[in-house]
Order: sequence, then structure tokens, then C-alpha cells
Amino acid sequence: MSNKPGTPKGAAKVRAKEQRAAELRAEAERRRRAENLKRGAIVGGLLLLVVVAAIFISTRSGEDLVASDVGSSDYGLIVGEAGAPREVVIYEDFLCPICGVLEEGAGEGLAAAAAAGTVVVDYRPIAILNRFGPYSADSVNAFLVVQQEAGDEVAKEFHDLLFADQPAEEGPFPDTDWLVEKAVEAGADEAAVRPGIEDGSRMDDVEAATQEAEDAGVQGTPTVVLDGVAFRDGKSWEEIADNLVEEVS
Amino acid sequence: MAHPLSDLRRGSTPAWLGLAARLIVGGVMIAAGLIKLPDPAASIESVRAFELVPASLVEPIGHLLPPLEVVVGLALVLGLMTRGAAVISAVLLVAFIIAIASAWARGLEIDCGCFGDGGANPDAASQYPWEIARDVGLLALSVFLARLRSSRLALDSLLFRPPVVPEPTPALDDLNEGSLP
Repeated sequence: MSNKPGTPKGAAKVRAKEQRAAELRAEAERRRRAENLKRGAIVGGLLLLVVVAAIFISTRSGEDLVASDVGSSDYGLIVGEAGAPREVVIYEDFLCPICGVLEEGAGEGLAAAAAAGTVVVDYRPIAILNRFGPYSADSVNAFLVVQQEAGDEVAKEFHDLLFADQPAEEGPFPDTDWLVEKAVEAGADEAAVRPGIEDGSRMDDVEAATQEAEDAGVQGTPTVVLDGVAFRDGKSWEEIADNLVEEVS
Repeated sequence: MAHPLSDLRRGSTPAWLGLAARLIVGGVMIAAGLIKLPDPAASIESVRAFELVPASLVEPIGHLLPPLEVVVGLALVLGLMTRGAAVISAVLLVAFIIAIASAWARGLEIDCGCFGDGGANPDAASQYPWEIARDVGLLALSVFLARLRSSRLALDSLLFRPPVVPEPTPALDDLNEGSLP
């Protein structure tokens, strides 16, 4: 009677053993999860740290813009009276589309503010888009030739005409004849400017002006410096142009 | 009853597909990030060209994207924190798709700046469909990776201990044997 096979006592023993095994497994699983969570947090934290460090380096490199004072360059075009309350330096490439947007939005407003005496603007054309073709450098050379031969006022007009009729960044590009035409339209004497524009007589200065801008920390065009600080306030360049004019008017 | 992806085992076909998806999405992310990394100013202007984010966020996003893309791409290629990286990659791609579609809808003619060189682009309208198609493809791969438990040749399998496969209990064995003819 008392010794049937598979007694309740034996079954209980097996059940207790199973329960113990299940507990051990659950405990091991808990430990495994905790360990994986810890490792994930460490590796995830390290990856996050790499991103944060890279952003830090990236933002620091953008701060290297040397304060550019109006009139501090030999290759600028100054519009307005020295000593005006606000100072603006604009680095631009005649081929850069955003520079065209900036000029379209702010060109007239800045000219009006300069005439009213509230701002003095130092335009510094540079050639950084040489990878698209010779227009970038040719146009700055022509600008310097016109400035040299016909003076600041004609050079400003020439500058405005080039932006008003800007070629696409990828071309096709107008030739030097076209640059001469624009110079004449701006008020320069053709005989005076044609040789310099065709022969690239100021190419060394184009290179020097561009190098000077790079040394000043200019990373692209347009770079607008307002009272020594880079000005990029706006969600588009149309908006930046409007804000700039509003700021200095 | 289980989701088809939930019981994948390493060595099965999806695990190899996982490796392929990691290399494709990760490779594209690394390339896109590395090209933009040396020129934060250009990256900022690419972001600004979309005219989508407030002025105060243009620069932070421009600085954030290149390193984030490189790190997420590396994580995917190495198979490190794969699912988390795939989730971030999917979120980024959704944002890119919305940005490009919105630029297209507003008639903006800009280069997406995906691989540097943002700003104006007269051919933009003809490129938007391809850019969106590419990003949708990468998004699909990212979602697949985010749902995949593990893939081949991933550092995750060294880093994390896999779950212990519960051994069948003796009681269950008895039961099974009992039910067998």
C-alpha cells in the first residue's frame, strides 16, 4: 500500500527541483539582462560622446573668423562714409548663387543705408569657385581692373551688374568680352579696361585677396561680417538679407 | 503565432540580409557624413537652403548631421548597437524625405546637400524623385534592421550575451512522451 511507484513524495521532490532550476534560470536571465543593459549604456554613451566631441570641434572651427574691419583689406570696395555707426564686410564670389540672392535682397537696402550714413560696407570679391571654370577668377580680376581704371563708383555699378546678370554656377559662362561690355555699361572706358580684363592683369591680386579671406577664416561665400561678428541670422538667405538691411538702416 | 522576424536565428537567410542591409545603409551614411565633415559652413548652408527650420536651429543642425551620420554609419557597418543605430538612421531618413519632398512641393530648386554641395541647382526638379526613392529604399532597410534581432558578423554578438535557450523541462518531456503514440 505504502510503496506504490511514483509516490507523491517523489513527485514533490521533482517539482521542487524543477522550481529551483527555474529560479536559477530566471536569476541568470535577470543578470544577463542587467549586464547587457550596462554594456549597451557604456557603448551607447561612448558613441554619443564621439558625436558630441565632433560637434564641438565643428562649431569651434566656425568661430575662427578673424574680426574683419572695414578698410583693412587692399582688395575691398568701400561704400559709405568711414566712421558710420555700423560696419559690414561682405566676402562674395561673383559666381556663387547665394551671393546673388544676398545681393538681390540686400544690395539696394545697403546702398541706401550707406548713403544715409548709417552703415559703411566693405565688399570683398574673392574667387573660390574655380572648380566650375574660369569665370569666378575672371570676374574678380575684371572687378579689380575696373576699380583701378574707373574708380569705386563705377566698380560698384559693375559689381551690381554682374550679380544682376549672374550666370548659373555650372555654366555656361560668359567670356571676357561680356565682362568688358558690362564694364563699359557700368561707365568704364573700354580702351582702359579691355587689356587688363583680357590679359588677367590683376590675377595675382585675385589670388592674394582670396588667400587673405581664407586666412581670415572665411569658409564660404557669402560671408557677412557685421561689426566684427559673422552675421547669419535667418532661415533663408532672403531672410538674412532682409534682417541685415533692417539691422543697419 | 510569433512575428516572422521575432524568431530569427543567426545563420538564417535574414541574418545574412541583415549584414547586407547594414553595409548598404552604413556605407551610404559614412560616405555622406565624411564628405560633409570637413566643411561645416557648407553643411549649414545645405540645411538653410531648405528654408524649413527656424534660423536659430540652422547652425546646430548643420553641425550635428555630418558627425551623426558618420557615427551611425560606423555603428551599422560594425554591427554595434545595430538596432539603436537603425532607429536613428530611420528617423534621419524620414526627416530627409520630408525635407526633399517639401522643397520639391514648394518649387525650390536646390541640391539636397546629401553628399555635400548644397545650395542652388537648376536641375533639382529632375533629381528630387531619385533622391526620394533612394532615401525610401534606405529607410526600408533601416526599418528592417531595427526589427531584426541579430545579423551576421556583428560586434553586438560579442558585446551582448544572447538569451539562454530555455531547456525543455523534464516534466514537459514526460508530457511530450506521454502524448506520443
